[in-house]
Amino acid sequence: MKKRLYIELENCIGCRSCLAACTQCGGHEERNRNYVYDVNPLVNRQTMPLMCLHCVNPACARSCPAQAIQVHETGAVLSALVEKCIGCQNCTIACPYGIPKFDTEQNLMYKCDLCIDRTKDGIPPMCASVCPTNTLQWLTDEEIANRKKQFNMDNGKWISSMPYLEGETNVKVNLPGILQGITKLF
Amino acid sequence: MQRDKFYQEIENRTHPNEKLIKTHCSYCGMQCGMHLRVNTATNKIIGVEPRYDWPVTAGKMCPKGVTAYQQTNHKDRLLKPLIRDDASLKGTKKGFREASWDEAYDVIAKNFKQQQEKYGKDSLAVFSGVSMTNEKCYLTGKFARVALGTRYIDYNGRFCMSSAAGGFLRSFGVDRGSTLPWTDIHETDCLFIAGSNTAECHPTSMFRIWNVQERGGYIIVVDPRETPIARRADLHLDLKPGTDLALANGITNLLIQNGYADEDFIKKHTNGFEETKELVKEFTLAYTSEVTGVNQEKIIRAAEIYGKSPNAVVMFARGIEQQHKGVDNVSAYTNMALITGKIGRPKSGVATFTGQGNGQGGREHGQKSDLLPGYRKITNPKHVEEVCHVWGIKQEEMPGPGVSAYEMFELMDQKVIRGLYLLCSNPAVSAPNLNFVRQAMKKLDFMVCSDFYLSESAEFADVVLPAVTWAEDEGTVTNLEGRIIKINKAQEPLGDSKPDWQMQVELAERLGKGKYFSHLKTAKAVAEEFRLASKGGNADYFGATWDKIDRQDGVFWPCKDENDQGTPHMFLDKKFYHPDGRAKICALPYRPPAEEPDDAYPLRLTTGRVVYHYLSGNQTRRIEFLRDMCPEPFVEVHPQTAKIYNIAHEEEVRLFTRRGEGKFKVKITEAIRKDTVFVPYHFGHDESINLLTIAALDPISRMPEFKACAAQMEKL
Ligand code: SF4
Ligand code: SF4
Ligand code: SF4
Repeated sequence: MKKRLYIELENCIGCRSCLAACTQCGGHEERNRNYVYDVNPLVNRQTMPLMCLHCVNPACARSCPAQAIQVHETGAVLSALVEKCIGCQNCTIACPYGIPKFDTEQNLMYKCDLCIDRTKDGIPPMCASVCPTNTLQWLTDEEIANRKKQFNMDNGKWISSMPYLEGETNVKVNLPGILQGITKLF
Repeated sequence: MQRDKFYQEIENRTHPNEKLIKTHCSYCGMQCGMHLRVNTATNKIIGVEPRYDWPVTAGKMCPKGVTAYQQTNHKDRLLKPLIRDDASLKGTKKGFREASWDEAYDVIAKNFKQQQEKYGKDSLAVFSGVSMTNEKCYLTGKFARVALGTRYIDYNGRFCMSSAAGGFLRSFGVDRGSTLPWTDIHETDCLFIAGSNTAECHPTSMFRIWNVQERGGYIIVVDPRETPIARRADLHLDLKPGTDLALANGITNLLIQNGYADEDFIKKHTNGFEETKELVKEFTLAYTSEVTGVNQEKIIRAAEIYGKSPNAVVMFARGIEQQHKGVDNVSAYTNMALITGKIGRPKSGVATFTGQGNGQGGREHGQKSDLLPGYRKITNPKHVEEVCHVWGIKQEEMPGPGVSAYEMFELMDQKVIRGLYLLCSNPAVSAPNLNFVRQAMKKLDFMVCSDFYLSESAEFADVVLPAVTWAEDEGTVTNLEGRIIKINKAQEPLGDSKPDWQMQVELAERLGKGKYFSHLKTAKAVAEEFRLASKGGNADYFGATWDKIDRQDGVFWPCKDENDQGTPHMFLDKKFYHPDGRAKICALPYRPPAEEPDDAYPLRLTTGRVVYHYLSGNQTRRIEFLRDMCPEPFVEVHPQTAKIYNIAHEEEVRLFTRRGEGKFKVKITEAIRKDTVFVPYHFGHDESINLLTIAALDPISRMPEFKACAAQMEKL
């Protein structure tokens, strides 16, 4: 069954294991392709991963004058094709999250390809495999719907999930605050 | 075999020309399952792949685990023995030359013999560690007692697990770090976690821990810092470092007063309740709050949640254990479980987060100054007889008990100990009061160090022996649950490096003790003898064969024989290990930290880990990814405190105590108490915070008080 990357931001502990693991997917030339940010530096230890969301209509690919960014049949938005990328960095600017990274030496963009080597065969990407907190998970649509239901809250104060942030994405995200909707056991 | 909802049936990705070797991480007590990727043409380790089917961690790893494979073929590996002829260069990296094993062994044997002839057997000491297999730990104990004949052997667990051990032995009569398997953790209703920066030190516990909250359960965290786990906890008790005993007594008092005591359980299965009840009466809410600095409401709420929880687990780690009353802290928090009867059944119990990979197994089998294999006592003639039988020595040949790790440095300073064989440890970074410890090491007449990198401690050695990394040998390790697991060999030893067990066998032969060691030609042979030596002890591994470990995804000790599947849950029959079968509820009067803040040193200094580094950092500081993430130590300061000292984020301060000083970059954060500063301890030379820490030892565990001393700082 088709699975997706699903992100629960509230769980993140900032261990950056996802970044370390990103280098371990055979096709990544041992360079990591995502980000983990301190949300409130100087205040607390809240952190969050910033991953490529694999947009359904990806701004990065649309902005590419050389058609170097291909979309895989699974929906994964791939890294730039080496032979096509002209190094203009349009994609980095176009992406609402600034995901594509740039290798100045090779004059080449590289980005998360959702470990396509793994996910095309249903094997979870490296980041979601190792994430010790289940911030990053590899789930079916049904499992994602269940989790959203579990964290659903209609108290008008908290929003834990939105249909999408900037256009529809293949990766699904739950914003911090998931616990606000939980009923305590006692 | 515990297969729970986190278990995933996932096929691994194997790349062309690669094979996967099933094993575990080299670092912390979680012992996360992993595969090492080995290139089949070069037979070298080249990467890592998750081990989704490992029941404890389901493929998850922290960044240390993900990059652990980079240790083995690292450019800093020691490939040949090193000898330093010029002793005046001790304490530096200089003056070493490469040598053959023969020459190195000759130099060691000659020096050991001469020294022992001149100054007696006990002039030689062994200082060991528990980041290595049970087989190696076992043989190190035998090597010290049989090949060297010295009483002085101890190990780095004195800086790590010894207080947990002491507390559990007193409360339960047995020291297994967790009374329940980790697969229970997410199913409990309340986790009471004291002095554990779990998210950074045992990250792969976190998916289970967060799940407790998702189910509507509670997480209570006791810590002077708002660690990542405290940030999301239902309740964060932000106590002053070193005041745990008062908090535990205060909560216990409330549990009793508010009717959460399980009188039936107390009557049938425990001793000591009445005395404890009397003693904790003193710990009124007002008094407890005053001593600990924790808001009264929070203390009430903590007792209420823990008391009400149908099931609950009390967990703790070095934060409460690395104090000069660490053993009392352990017993005092354990009291909470004993008084409410939340122990001896699934989903309820007590657990410590074991620090080192084999912190559990390594402390059970005879590396401790007073212990023999199977958790036997060297002071118990019957125990000595049992072990002598396996070793083939006479009872009068067994040396007596020695002294603890830190006390060995005192004996070096006094020239009682003149020679040292150090392995699997880096006390020149990890011991407290380092100015003293380093000069004591410098005073040694002769020192051998075995390691796979030139550690800060190796800089004091005359001979350095190149050991293998964990992936170049096989054997068992006991994880933080008490589950015995198997480490597998993924690559042949690099260069001329050898496993420590092999060095010990070959050295024993040079020392004329071959008849006790020469039969141990493989790690498996050591394992067989070790299982036999543990047989009949409290920590009985006899039934834990390598086959069974493989078949069952590990074996929980005690495991007495072939048919015994091991013991995932302790005390299900409510039988504790004291002679009368009862657990002990302990009445423990409060003692403040050995050094309290004063006008000259008004701050409380506490130390700990970051997620990117392991112990002294000798391994992780060499891994590029980890070093990039945290290249140097820092001092965490609350913004209001920073204002008083007129310091800003990333400025440097001189931090000092009565024992030493260091320069550290300031990290401003509201996630720490205003009266407390924190520095991670993973760094060497001038960057070691242990230059400042205090060597106030626990009277039972001899654990130094790493977690609390008085300090002052000034802007540079
Ligand atoms: S691995 Fe998970 S917990 Fe760690 S930083 Fe990445 S998202 Fe956060
Ligand atoms: S998140 Fe950015 S990089 Fe990823 S697909 Fe969307 S636009 Fe492209
Ligand atoms: S260091 Fe500990 S938590 Fe991290 S991967 Fe290794 S065993 Fe797991």
